[in-house]
Amino acid sequence: MRLLVIEDDATLRESLAAKLSESGFAVEQAADGREGLYFALEYPIDLAIVDLGLPEMSGLDIIREAREQGKTYPILILTARDRWEDKVDGLDAGADDYVVKPFHVEEVTARVNALLRRSGGWASSIMAAGPVTLDMSRQELTVNEVAVELTGFEYKIIEYLMVRAGQVISKTELTERLYDQDFERDSNVIEVFIGRLRKKMDPDNTIKPIETLRGRGYRFALERGPGG
Amino acid sequence: MSSLSARLLISVSVLLMFFFGVTIVVLDTAFRSAAEQAQADILDGQLMAILAAAEATDSGTLELPPDMQEPRFGNIGSGLYAELRDDQGEIAWRSRSALGMEMPTGETPQSGVRVFLDEMLADGTPLLTLSLAVQWEFPNGELRPFVFKIAESLESFNAQIAQFRRQLFGWFAAVAIIMLLSISILLRRLLRPLRQIENEIGEIEQGKRPSLSDQFPTELSGVARNMNVLIDGERARSDRYRLTLDNLAHSLKTPLAAMRALLNQGKSDEFAGRFNEQIDRMDEIVRYQLRKPATSKADSLVLTLIPVKTEVQRLVEGLKKVYHDKGPDIETQISADMQFRGESGDFLEIAGNLIDNACKWCERKVLVTVQPSSGSSSDGGIILQVADDGPGVPDDAVEALLERGTRLDETTPGHGIGLAVVKELAESYGGELRIDRSSLGGAEFRVTIPAS
Repeated sequence: MRLLVIEDDATLRESLAAKLSESGFAVEQAADGREGLYFALEYPIDLAIVDLGLPEMSGLDIIREAREQGKTYPILILTARDRWEDKVDGLDAGADDYVVKPFHVEEVTARVNALLRRSGGWASSIMAAGPVTLDMSRQELTVNEVAVELTGFEYKIIEYLMVRAGQVISKTELTERLYDQDFERDSNVIEVFIGRLRKKMDPDNTIKPIETLRGRGYRFALERGPGG
Repeated sequence: MSSLSARLLISVSVLLMFFFGVTIVVLDTAFRSAAEQAQADILDGQLMAILAAAEATDSGTLELPPDMQEPRFGNIGSGLYAELRDDQGEIAWRSRSALGMEMPTGETPQSGVRVFLDEMLADGTPLLTLSLAVQWEFPNGELRPFVFKIAESLESFNAQIAQFRRQLFGWFAAVAIIMLLSISILLRRLLRPLRQIENEIGEIEQGKRPSLSDQFPTELSGVARNMNVLIDGERARSDRYRLTLDNLAHSLKTPLAAMRALLNQGKSDEFAGRFNEQIDRMDEIVRYQLRKPATSKADSLVLTLIPVKTEVQRLVEGLKKVYHDKGPDIETQISADMQFRGESGDFLEIAGNLIDNACKWCERKVLVTVQPSSGSSSDGGIILQVADDGPGVPDDAVEALLERGTRLDETTPGHGIGLAVVKELAESYGGELRIDRSSLGGAEFRVTIPAS
C-alpha cells in the first residue's frame, strides 16, 4: 500500500514515515501544501495523511481539491487544533478520520489500517475469507488457523489483494503501490512473489486463494467471510 | 425612573400644572375683584336713586314713593333690598322686596362715608350691603341723621363666580390634556431613533443582527458609527484571540508529536514511558487551557444565531465516518428552526464532545434531542440532551466527572477533558451541564443554556 504523508514538521514527518514503512507501507512524503497537493493528485496512492496547518496551502484545501478531482482514497487528518469546529470542517471537506496531535504513532498506524480495510469494504478489523484470515494490525496471515510465515514483500502483496478481495489488480498497479521507489521494476518479479505466496498459503493447491486472469492481473478469489 | 420619555412627560406635566395653577389663581382673583367692583357700583347707583327719590315730610321724616324706578325693589324676595333708619335706629322706610325679613343691622357708619359689608340674612343668604349715613336738611332748616342701607343677595353673584371657575378649570384641563397628548406624540416621534438603537442593540445581543444600521438622524449617527466600530473591534479581538490560540496549539503540539514519534523510534523502555507520560500531561493542560472559554459570553456582543439542526447533522455525518466500524445508530430530534445564540464553534464544541462521548460508550443507540429552553425555538436558548445505551455513569462518579475540569491542572493524565470543556462552556453562557440516566439505559448528558 502506498501512503502519502503531508506534514511540514520534518522530525514528525520523517518519524511517522519511518514507522509506517516499518509497518509495511510504501510512503511518499510532502513538506508543504503545494507539494502535498501535487502528490495527492498525481501519485498512485491508497491513503493520505494530511496535516491541517501547512505552509503554502492548507490541509483543508488539499482535501477539497483531491475530492473534487475525484480521488476516493481515504484521508486521515492530523491536527493540532482539536476544537470540534476544525474536526467537523475537515470531515466535511472529505476526510474520513482525524488524529489529534500529539498522537502516539501506533494510533496513526491503527487508524490507517482501519481506513484501508474500510476502503476495501471490510467492516471488521480481522479480514476473513474462507480458511484465510489477515490481521492488519499484527501483520499476521493464517490459513486454517495456522500462521503463515511471509517476507515483508509477500505480506504487502497478499494484504493489497485481500483488502481489495474480488477486484482484479494489474501487475502495474501492484508494482506502483508496493515498491517504495522505482516503479520500473520488472513485472516478472511480481509473478515470482505470487508463485511463492500460493505455495505458502496453499501447498496442496486446494483452496486456490489467488486467481490469475491472463493479460489483466490477479484477484483474491475467496468469498469474504462475516464482517466482509 | 428609567425611561427618557416618562421623565420628560412627568417634568412637563408638573410644569404645566404649576403654570396653569398660577394662571387660574390670577384669573380668578382678577375676575372676582372686577365682579365685586361692578356689584359695588350697581349698589352705589341704587343708593343714589333712593337718595334722589327720598323726600322730607312735614312730620320730620323721609318718605319714599311706593313704586321705585328699579322694579326689583317692588318684588318680595327679589334679592335687592333697601331700608332707611332714623337716628333712633327705627326703620323709617323699607322696600317692598324686604317685607317680612330682618336685614342685619351691621355697624352704623360715620356720616357721609359709604360702608360696604359682607353680611348674612337670618336664613344664611349672603349679602353685600352698602350703608350710608346722611344728615338730611329739612325745609325748616333742621338737620336729622338717617342711615340708608341697600343690600343685594350674593347668591347669583356667587353662582356666576362658580360658573366662571368651572369654565376656567374645564378649559384649562382640556388644554392641558391636549398639550400633554401632543407632547407625548412629539416625544414618541423624537425618541423613535433612540428606541430603534435600543432595539437594534437588543437584536445584536440576541445575535439576530451583526451591527447597527446607518439610518439614524445626524445627532445619533456618530453614536451608531462608534458603536459599530466597538462591536467590530470586539469581534476582531475575539477572532484574533482564537487565531492566536490556534497558532499556539499548532506550534506547541507539533513539537510534542515529534518528540513522541522520536521516543517511539528508540523502542519503548522505562525512560520513554515516563517521557510519554509527561507529554500526555503537557498536552492535556494545553488542550484544556486552549479550549476552555476565556470570558463569560452571556452578554457578549459578538454572538450570532446558529442553526442547531444543520450543525448537529454535520457533526453526526462526521462522527459516522469516524465510528464507521462501530456503526452507532444516531437518532436526532431537532426542529428545523432551532437556534443557538452563541459564538461560532461553541455549539459544535459542546455537542461534538457529548455526541462523541456517546458514540464511544454506546452499545448501539445514541439519541440527540434539542429543545428550546424558553418558549420559542428562535430565542437562542437550548436544552441539548445526548443519551446513549451504554454502561452509564455511576452516581458516585458524576460529581468527580463534573469537577474534573476545575482541578485539571493538578491531576494526572487521563481522559475526559471534553466534559470539563462542555461544562465550562455551558457555564460561560449562564447554563449548566447535568448527568443523568437515560431512558435508553445508559448515560444522559443534558446541557441547558438560557435564552438571552
